[in-house]
Amino acid sequence: MAGVTRVGVNGTSGGVLGREARTQYAAMARMRWRMFVNGLRSIHGLLDLGATGIAWLFYSVFGLGFGLGLCAAAYSLASHSSWQYLPILFWVMSFLWLMFPVLVASFQEQSDLGILLRFPVHFGSYFLLYLISGLMEASTIVGVLCCLGVWFGIVMARPDLYLWAMLGLAVFAAFNILLVRAVFAWIDRWLSQRKTREIVGALFMVLILSMQLMNPAIWQHGHQRQGRLRQRQQIEQLLAEPWVKTADEVQRWLPPGLAAVALGQAAEQQPKPALESLGVMGLFLLGAGSVLGLRLRAEYRGENLGSAPARKKPATRPGKTMLVRDKAAEREGEDRLGESKSNAPAPIAAIIEKEIRSLPRTLPLLYAVGAPMVLVLVISGSFIRGASHGHMPLLSLPLCMFFAQIGFRQLFANSLGTEGPGIQLYFLCPTPMRTVLLAKNLFHSAVFVLVLVIAGFLATLRLGQPDGMVVAATVAWFLFVLPCSLAAGNIFSLTMPFRVNPGRISRQPGSQASALLSLVMQAGMVGVGAAVFELCSIGGMLWLAVPIFLALAAIAVFAWVRILGNSDEIANRNKDLLIATLMKAE
Amino acid sequence: MEIAAIQTHGLTRRFGELTAVDDVTFSVAPGQFFGFLGPNGAGKSTTIKMLTGLLEPSAGTVEILGKPFSAAALDLKRQIGVVPEGMALLGRLTATEYLHFVGRMYGLDAATTNQRTEELLEFMQLANETRKLVTDFSHGMQKKLAMAAAVIHGPKVLFLDEPFEGVDAIAAGMLKNMLTGMISRGATIFLTTHVLEIVERLCSHVAIISKGRLVAFGSIDELRAGVASALPGVEQGQRFTLEEIFLAILGADGHQESTQELSWLA
Repeated sequence: MAGVTRVGVNGTSGGVLGREARTQYAAMARMRWRMFVNGLRSIHGLLDLGATGIAWLFYSVFGLGFGLGLCAAAYSLASHSSWQYLPILFWVMSFLWLMFPVLVASFQEQSDLGILLRFPVHFGSYFLLYLISGLMEASTIVGVLCCLGVWFGIVMARPDLYLWAMLGLAVFAAFNILLVRAVFAWIDRWLSQRKTREIVGALFMVLILSMQLMNPAIWQHGHQRQGRLRQRQQIEQLLAEPWVKTADEVQRWLPPGLAAVALGQAAEQQPKPALESLGVMGLFLLGAGSVLGLRLRAEYRGENLGSAPARKKPATRPGKTMLVRDKAAEREGEDRLGESKSNAPAPIAAIIEKEIRSLPRTLPLLYAVGAPMVLVLVISGSFIRGASHGHMPLLSLPLCMFFAQIGFRQLFANSLGTEGPGIQLYFLCPTPMRTVLLAKNLFHSAVFVLVLVIAGFLATLRLGQPDGMVVAATVAWFLFVLPCSLAAGNIFSLTMPFRVNPGRISRQPGSQASALLSLVMQAGMVGVGAAVFELCSIGGMLWLAVPIFLALAAIAVFAWVRILGNSDEIANRNKDLLIATLMKAE
Repeated sequence: MEIAAIQTHGLTRRFGELTAVDDVTFSVAPGQFFGFLGPNGAGKSTTIKMLTGLLEPSAGTVEILGKPFSAAALDLKRQIGVVPEGMALLGRLTATEYLHFVGRMYGLDAATTNQRTEELLEFMQLANETRKLVTDFSHGMQKKLAMAAAVIHGPKVLFLDEPFEGVDAIAAGMLKNMLTGMISRGATIFLTTHVLEIVERLCSHVAIISKGRLVAFGSIDELRAGVASALPGVEQGQRFTLEEIFLAILGADGHQESTQELSWLA
């Protein structure tokens, strides 16, 4: 160690802002920058950069839109001194902050700081870097823009409150940033084990379906009341209900309520209670920080979630897919290579079996497939007013079904993402890539159809029986959407893959280009669908939509077959990329 | 009394119902080249992760250079180097950029980092590959880079998890020279590998772990003598290779050679 020049050692390191820590931050920043610059060496990297720019533009526009809406609402509430309704805005922001990271998970490349553990990095620095990496996420951009919107709204109506509003919103924003990071860090912890993952996955699907099935009953109840009361009376009656009063009392002690209450108190010239409310918010902030700190401390000490091995199975129980089968000879009719007697060709059956087993264990994909079912509720809600005499409006069924399948983008466009290092097997075994993709396409199509059937059933429950011709046109439309998605998805899977960590919802890597291009594809398909539906219905010839969609479907199937046929060539051209990307553990 | 370079007491790691490392106690003296052996899944990598702070023990303690790891983790991390399982490289950096990053993370100043980066790349024969991204390196080149990253800060204790796997004979020879040079200058090296010839040639002391438990520990000569006295019909003066010692000890621990005949194999 003689002659070693170190920075910040010998008692001068000074914690999270000491010289050594600052050197480490600079090294991290430089490393991220170099990785970004080096990423631009390839077409894939350039595509990713373009897609990142567009994605950030989208977040900003989304955030600005929400921010403007909240600005107008805050202005209206502040100018009418209706401070009692301000918590609603803060609860909306909190909900958005918490849900947005999951909604855009596949659009973001998030960093895992596990690499830092082998270096002499202070826990404080680790915590700080974790928070800073969180600041670069879409939810923070959207949340901060919303907070700015509320601040502008309040300050325009009451300029004297600008400092109070700034303070309250700053504490509120800090709390949400910590809360989101804490929630996802703990979710990752719980999902790190396969059994927990499967249980959470099953519960999640049950929850989604329960929400959908309960909703028609609730809506029915609300619909009857709407006939008796005018809207204003209805709201007043709702606010007078005891459970609403209790809920209001409770929410006043929770961070969104506290922030709003503090602003209301400041507006009514009660600085002491306002400071007290902010003080309680500060305690929540500390609480969220502690909960996050607890989790990060465990990670920092070396709780390596990814290294937890699966439980050992009893040695006496042979695996179903063992290559070495000592009883193989006992099975009549089976040749020496052990081919399956199933009707499906052996590799296709094997891949489908693997997919059936792995999908329930891959929570990000399960979430992607299940969560959009909530959109059936939202979309059908917007059509409820149009529903009459038990019949649903024209576009409601196809749109409900389309939004229910929107998460399939992640399955179709990155179908090899869950393979990890196993991708090598596909290049080693004598099974062509087209067979691998065909098997995956077949399995994904089956799940796709299942989700569409459930979505159609739920939409019918909410909106009434659809017209027979609408059903026929919708089915024909999806006969076009499915091969189209599969064809594009196979190309994206082979050219823009990214590794999916089955045990995490947050901190997933991602390919911005793949996410954006597949989204553009979906927008195109919904655009074509809406145009055909509308044009045919205007002319009173909805039946014409069926042959048009079937003709488009034939073209899409042709494209899918061609791409499938060329998939081996594409895979071989991208072999290095596929192996390097899916195997890397950075 | 000399302070041990590495000392464990009752080191245990459980993953749910599985105990991967079970009550392992051993010590490695300063300046020792120590081989840590065991069959696949025995708990070698789990142990090395616990020794380097990458994995928290479920029970037991680790002391490096006389200090408990749990209490002096930062200070100890500055004094140890690691080539971990999987190498922990950053694929989208060049070798120079990666070594520069690692040097700065260990607290070296920029000038020292640059100088050592150049020297290490030259030594590892990677100096001509400075434009290439790490992801485009061959496996052997990645191993050499991981080794360079592990020593850039001049560690006193070096942990190597399968460092010679996939490295060609010339590079392996070069690395061995570097490691023996480090030993002669007082460093301690903790090595896990499946290549027993390398251990026999380089290491003075070994430990063997099986099913998470330590089943043998001592100098190679001590193990040799132990096996000779335990096995029946051994002639006096018969010299066992490390492979024979390894198989004898693991055979006694319940590992059996497979008698399954794969009749369908050509």
